[in-house]
Amino acid sequence: MMQGFFLKEAVRSFRHHRGLATTAIISLTSALVLSGMFLLVAHNAGLALHTVGDRREMVVYLNDSVSPDQVEALSRQFESSYGIVSYVSKDQAWTEFSEEIEDPALLEAVEGNPLPASLRIKLKPELLTATAMEEAAKHIAEIPEVEDVVYGGEWVRRLDELTRNLQWAAIVAGVLIGLAVVFMMYNTIRLSVLARRLQVEIMSRLGATDGFIVTPFVFEAIFEAGVAAIAALALVFGIQQGISAQVVPVAFLPWTWALGFLAANLMLAWLAASLALNRVLRAIGA
Amino acid sequence: MITFEQVTKRYGERLALDSVSWHMDEGECVVIHGSNGSGKTSILRLITHEVRPSSGSITVGTFRGGRLSRAQRALLRRTLGVVYEDFRLLPDRTVFENVALAVRIMGRVTNEEVVPRVLYALQEVGLQQKQTAFPSELAAGEKQRAAIARAIVNRPAVVLADEPTGALEKRTAADVLALLQKIHREGSALLIVTTNPEVAEKMNSRVLRLDDGRLIGDTGPNGAPAESA
Repeated sequence: MMQGFFLKEAVRSFRHHRGLATTAIISLTSALVLSGMFLLVAHNAGLALHTVGDRREMVVYLNDSVSPDQVEALSRQFESSYGIVSYVSKDQAWTEFSEEIEDPALLEAVEGNPLPASLRIKLKPELLTATAMEEAAKHIAEIPEVEDVVYGGEWVRRLDELTRNLQWAAIVAGVLIGLAVVFMMYNTIRLSVLARRLQVEIMSRLGATDGFIVTPFVFEAIFEAGVAAIAALALVFGIQQGISAQVVPVAFLPWTWALGFLAANLMLAWLAASLALNRVLRAIGA
Repeated sequence: MITFEQVTKRYGERLALDSVSWHMDEGECVVIHGSNGSGKTSILRLITHEVRPSSGSITVGTFRGGRLSRAQRALLRRTLGVVYEDFRLLPDRTVFENVALAVRIMGRVTNEEVVPRVLYALQEVGLQQKQTAFPSELAAGEKQRAAIARAIVNRPAVVLADEPTGALEKRTAADVLALLQKIHREGSALLIVTTNPEVAEKMNSRVLRLDDGRLIGDTGPNGAPAESA
């Protein structure tokens, strides 16, 4: 019963202070577009790193003396320990090499087929770090049938370092943008509350509890933050579509991220409104 | 009903009340008279717990002591009806809605309970014809009547009136005082704070005189020292 009354109060307040409410929604939308863009960049950077990381593979070159049975046994062993294995015979390796060189004169200068057969391993996700790959390569190199192991150690180390740095940068930027949004939301809602200080004061003097005074403001703040968050998501979607069409294909936020973004903003609005009201109530000696 | 025991109130360096003691019984009518800055409004703010005393003790009904929680303060204020010089009506609500707000603040009440109580209070102050008007559409005297209706709608044990005629012309002021007298006769205790000596005279009740934060007089309706002083 009281919830209905509080909702009516929130609607009344919103309608009566339309200008202030619209300003609050526009301010919040601007701040939230900024954080939405950050999420979009973070999401696409994550996708790009994942795609690059997925391409990490290890090439195990085999001795020329290795029999087909030994190849079969090694494939099974690597499959169970390291990931998906594909066998490239000496002839296949030569064909691939020939296609890459595209110069018959150069190929004719080579006597016979000097290329070794190899096992290419597309590593399991848990082995996609420089340390894990180094460890795996060390074990594999100790096998007598193995001539050499190549996995681009330096490149993998750099990629890992880049991923770590990007993750830290994302956390720092995320916290800073989050704080800026909270600060802006708090101040925007505090301004709305201050504009209705008389109402808060009168209610307090009449004996209204904190909950009675605060609830309609919280409803209103949550509504404003919800509208702002949806508008911000729509704008970020528009920007993503524009970038995809004009510059480079980028993905929009997954729906779980979008829902999380909305829910986080509603929670922040609730928190900001409660804090702002608490300050005003203390200031007026409620 | 209301008791002040050796109450002192300081705002920083400024002494607003200096060791003031007085008592008011249930159903009594008291006028606190003094010039600006004599400490009258401090007394009202101490009663409603908008401020706390620097020293001394205040009892209002069953609420005793200088430090109440916010929830207790809300409960205390529901036992009081307060009328302000500047009316303090919400401009975005009609007269009916302003009075109804005081009823809703009391707690779980249905619309069926709110309507008759508000209409009765508006009838008491003679404003039933203006129930759909907004404060900006009312004359000053009507605004004060609406504020009085809001103060009495929950049938408080005591009505506090802070300079209730301060913003009114003479004839309207007399009507408002007559209305307050009527409310008092119907059983509510009444405490009026004023700078106007005519109010004290017209109310024909006990008068506490304040000067520079000190209580300098406590006289009954006939001018004799009050019994409960």
